[in-house]
Amino acid sequence: MMSFDRKLAIAARITREIRRDRRSLALIIGAPVIVMSLIGFSFQDQKPVLNQAAPALIATMAMFFVFVLTGISFLRERSQGTLERLLSTAVSRSDLLVGYLAGFLLFALIQSIIILLYTLFVVDVEYSGKLWDIVFILLMVTITSVSMGIFVSTFAKNEFQVVQFIPLLLAPQIFLSGVILPTSQLPGYFQVISGVLPLTYANRALRDIMLRGASLSDVSTEIGVLALFAIAMLAAAAATVRKT
Amino acid sequence: MSATVNIASSESAISISGLEFAYGNRPVLKGIDLEIPRGVSFGVLGANGAGKTTLVRLLIGRLKATAGTALIFGQEPGPELADSVGYMPQLNALYEALSVRENLDFFARMLGLSNKEQRVAAVARAMELVGLTDRADSVMSELSGGMRQRVSLGAALVHEPDILLLDEPTVGLDPELRATFWQHFKEMTDSGTTIVISSHTMDDAAHCDTLGFMRDGKFIATGTPDELRQSTGKPNSTLEDAFLFLSRASDDVI
Repeated sequence: MMSFDRKLAIAARITREIRRDRRSLALIIGAPVIVMSLIGFSFQDQKPVLNQAAPALIATMAMFFVFVLTGISFLRERSQGTLERLLSTAVSRSDLLVGYLAGFLLFALIQSIIILLYTLFVVDVEYSGKLWDIVFILLMVTITSVSMGIFVSTFAKNEFQVVQFIPLLLAPQIFLSGVILPTSQLPGYFQVISGVLPLTYANRALRDIMLRGASLSDVSTEIGVLALFAIAMLAAAAATVRKT
Repeated sequence: MSATVNIASSESAISISGLEFAYGNRPVLKGIDLEIPRGVSFGVLGANGAGKTTLVRLLIGRLKATAGTALIFGQEPGPELADSVGYMPQLNALYEALSVRENLDFFARMLGLSNKEQRVAAVARAMELVGLTDRADSVMSELSGGMRQRVSLGAALVHEPDILLLDEPTVGLDPELRATFWQHFKEMTDSGTTIVISSHTMDDAAHCDTLGFMRDGKFIATGTPDELRQSTGKPNSTLEDAFLFLSRASDDVI
């Protein structure tokens, strides 16, 4: 059963809940700014290193914060019983998924854009390429990360467990997607793992755009792979969204 | 609304036959047969772990039976019936950051009331019914436990369902509030609504039109409160006495 009104209502409710929670709202905006300041200003005397690292940092931070936001929020829906109540109505998987995606996407995008703009204009990282192209890649990262958050929350019984998933899911991506070492310098078997991590492709695309001024069509392969990840994660989230 | 269920064609509100359910290898419901007519309140009475919540979750279609059938108005439970069924889960299951009105409005929308005017009227009616009109704009976290229970009940009946499935609705309510709840339930059954209530207190049991004593995944007895009291064979027996008497009798059979 498709219902536009239900999707809209779910998205509006999520937006309202987050807006009401002033401290969380402040953290959503404040935390990435503080983290990016720390990283950015500690490299102040080595601008070329920072410029090189910035694309991967932006993508990683976006993925990290969005995943935490969605994972915890959706888990709360399960643990407080509201999901059970929702599922006794005629609400469908697509209502839930699209509603959630829309509700979180708004905040996730705001967060991603804050990370991006702050890094580019306050930390003053040099970049080439179009700003909108960078935002587009971040949008793909955000969709993947929101779906990943919903999916992973199925496997967690409480907030404590969701937090345990953060290092499990994000540490490999940080180490193996080229944030620290270029993927080509990793041992062979790690390169294979690196090939199945969404962040690898996001980093590659952002590097090409930000460091070499590439356009979206130049990085269409990476965009295609990112889209596949987003679709796969959405499918996984759809398969598990009805579990309470 | 998309209800395609022909409610008028079914005699019983709920009919259950040979219903079994197991979580993996652990059987929870071990063969339940039950007919609940329309417009009555039926109490599912039993200790914690007897299978009450499992039975309710089967009736809302959240669990699938391992064997047997459970039908509501002759239909398998599921989304098609959502318009006719109201469900109050054991947890309050409400959004803490939202007000009473916003919570009810949200669940009304989920229940298919997409027309704003209709929904505003339905929410106002539900708040009136649970006596929270003057707290309409209070957020959940400002309300007492009893008030939250009332909002939770309001969310279950905002779409004026034909059947209400209430999982331990009176837990944690003070005697006064409990009496108010039962007054609502009586009014609703009088106007034709069927109510199924799970509970483990005999205080609730006495208010029900009919009762089922549940023990270890089965009904050990069903009947009106009077019939069950008389089953002990002793004068002035309470429902508590009857439950203990029938429990022992069922142990002897085993």
